[in-house]
Amino acid sequence: MADIDTIAESVDSLKEHFESHRYICSDQIATAVYLAFHLRKPILIEGPPGVGKTELAKTTAEMFELPLIRLQCYEGLDESKAIYEWKYGKQLLYTQVLKEALDEVLAGAKGFAQSVTRLHEFGDIFFSEEFLEPRPLLKALREEDGCVLLLDEIDKSDHEFESLLLEILSDFQISIPEIGTVKASKEPPMVFLTSNNTREISDALKRRCLHLYIPFPDVDLEQKIIHARVPEVPPELQRQLVTFIHELRDLDLKKVPAISETIDWARTLLLLHTEALDPQLVRDTLNVILKFQEDIENVDGEINAITAKIRK
Amino acid sequence: MDRTLTNFIRSLRMADVRISTAETLDAMNTVELVGYRDREFLKHSLSLVLPKTADEKETFDNCFDQFFAFEDVSGERSESETDAENDSGADHAEGEGGEGGGAGGERQPGQPAQGGKKKKSKAKPNNNLFEEEEEEDLGPGEMTEASSDLGQLLMANSRVELTTAMAAAGEEVNVRDIQIFTQKGLYARRIMDAMGLAELNREISDLKERQHVPSRRLGQELKRRRDWLREQVRDYVERQFLLNADVSGKKLREELLRKVKLSNVEHRNFRLIQEIVYKMAKKLTTMHSRRKKVYKKGLLNVPRTLRHNMSYDGAIFDLRWKSVKIDRPKVFAICDVSGSVASYARFMLMFLYSLDEVMPKVRSFAFSSDLAEVTDLFQRNKIEDAIAKVLRDYSGGSTDYGQALMDFKNHCLDDVDNRTTIIILGDARNNYGDPHAEILKEMYDRSKRIIWLNPESRVSWNTGDSEMRRYQAYSHQVEECNSLMHLERVVGNLLRQVSG
Repeated sequence: MADIDTIAESVDSLKEHFESHRYICSDQIATAVYLAFHLRKPILIEGPPGVGKTELAKTTAEMFELPLIRLQCYEGLDESKAIYEWKYGKQLLYTQVLKEALDEVLAGAKGFAQSVTRLHEFGDIFFSEEFLEPRPLLKALREEDGCVLLLDEIDKSDHEFESLLLEILSDFQISIPEIGTVKASKEPPMVFLTSNNTREISDALKRRCLHLYIPFPDVDLEQKIIHARVPEVPPELQRQLVTFIHELRDLDLKKVPAISETIDWARTLLLLHTEALDPQLVRDTLNVILKFQEDIENVDGEINAITAKIRK
Repeated sequence: MDRTLTNFIRSLRMADVRISTAETLDAMNTVELVGYRDREFLKHSLSLVLPKTADEKETFDNCFDQFFAFEDVSGERSESETDAENDSGADHAEGEGGEGGGAGGERQPGQPAQGGKKKKSKAKPNNNLFEEEEEEDLGPGEMTEASSDLGQLLMANSRVELTTAMAAAGEEVNVRDIQIFTQKGLYARRIMDAMGLAELNREISDLKERQHVPSRRLGQELKRRRDWLREQVRDYVERQFLLNADVSGKKLREELLRKVKLSNVEHRNFRLIQEIVYKMAKKLTTMHSRRKKVYKKGLLNVPRTLRHNMSYDGAIFDLRWKSVKIDRPKVFAICDVSGSVASYARFMLMFLYSLDEVMPKVRSFAFSSDLAEVTDLFQRNKIEDAIAKVLRDYSGGSTDYGQALMDFKNHCLDDVDNRTTIIILGDARNNYGDPHAEILKEMYDRSKRIIWLNPESRVSWNTGDSEMRRYQAYSHQVEECNSLMHLERVVGNLLRQVSG
């Protein structure tokens, strides 16, 4: 078991540990995790796709050696898929099996009223823990030693679902009508929510979270990331490809390449035993970083100019 | 209660960052955890807690830099307190005569005051002034004790206390209400007065007359420090102005913009208008989406009911409903960009564009004679480009509503259903051509609503070649709309009607 408290003792220590797990982060990101840990607040992470939002949650779980419970959000996601559901099959099966037992229970009962009274003595057997199928959120609350709960792409879910989350986010508890309120074990989960901003998240939700915006990293940081992720790439090529990507991000593109694309590209170039970027090579591998034919065509004309610029 | 923090939050709110009380509490907890020691760390931490969108973060960064640059003195209180102590400690030891002479006791009176020159850079303003401007060289030496409150405060040489007194005086004269830059002098003066300037002045002129050298020396010292204080106050007011007035100045401008007719609005305010439209539209959509929930119960959901009632041995008595989701309004917006409405076209297109941004199912069309769909163009371009392109490609021709309606009929009347709202932006001036009102009737019959927004004022409707009367008959709602005020009302109505 990793000693969470020591790791989260200071921002610098967090940063180091992230780095040792090959996640290179800015001060801002480390501060967010630091605050989230000490203030026991969820983090809402926003930013362009591919800057490592989900990765942050995964790495945190890895670093603290906590289980990661992930809930991928989508339109139409509701409580029965996110919190709990009753095991209908089991309930049905049991009613059939117990039918016979029922006769025994009721044997000797006189009249209708007496039968009902006897039945009442058994309580709500079918709506007890036995028949409860916990879904990610409930599971997360029940983890004894805490866990990392990742609600991925929260913006894809409906407004209703957001409201459903409010209780768990602020008080780390869930109310189930048939059973009562389930509170988190003594270590509440660390909650990460990610959003690509396809729609505005409601104020109520935002208010309960720390808000972390991860932008594209600057050249230095991105080089470090490449170095951590694809260490075999020679330093000169590293510099060239990162600078190239940064030049691309300044262009008017439908989808600008993200960090994940930079990493893919670095791997590709490594596979091709590249020493330095040249226009022909860039042209051949452009489809790794650009995902729209239109963008590729637009960039095509610029390649010579950009490669000349970065080779200086 | 952390005064610095609440003040900071106040200035953030003034800059349009929405901060709730809960967030203020969070911020306090954060500060407790983080402390004021490390400026960058504090900034990072607070920027996680207070601003909640990318835009707000930018505003936050500005505000933070401005605010904590100014609060250097009181903001770093924990640090500067010790500093100030050192400072004044050093001063005492070096015998800033006045203090030593009067307060007596522990310190050696009469120690030369030149030590003051060697004071840490923290107290720089003192030094500089000390070195210049000496009307009468009395040399270093003993000074008597200042008698006025302010004089004593000045001689005590504690920055923290001075700043606190300054802030208190600022509160007293409501410096936060400062609105225009010409008021700066006035407020500075008022703060000085509130701090007891009159008394101090009297004391200074009084001391000047004295024969006793230490008293005269004190007089000079006090005068020097008064001038320094005046500068400090001026700086303080300046910063208060930047923090408070500049933004309320912006509010004022926004208020004015709401009322002004848009065709007269200068180009440089274009961005601001856009923001208002955007802000407004955003507000309205969230309102709209929230309403969605309180709608009727819906239809019986047979599969779910069966599944749910399995546990009751298949006896169906606990019914499950399909929760009905209202489709957001499907909107067709048609915008006239011909010569006659040229001056309003930008505004109307801006509105169209904003509409497209915030509502998911908007199809936009522009015409002067021939109608063309611009939805795609809007989605792929930034607002300025989009408007420019639409105006370039479609404006300029003479208006022909008849033709435009025909085009609409051929093009997409089939897509209009009973959930569709059609918004037409135009002055209905048809150059005496055939208005083809029967097509509008057809649209009227098929759609849920037709809203006609006319940029001309009501008086000029139906005059000249305006066909408003004939079109009006086949519209559910006809409104005059040429300023944001109108627009706000119309948009509010639109959503209420559609979702109600």
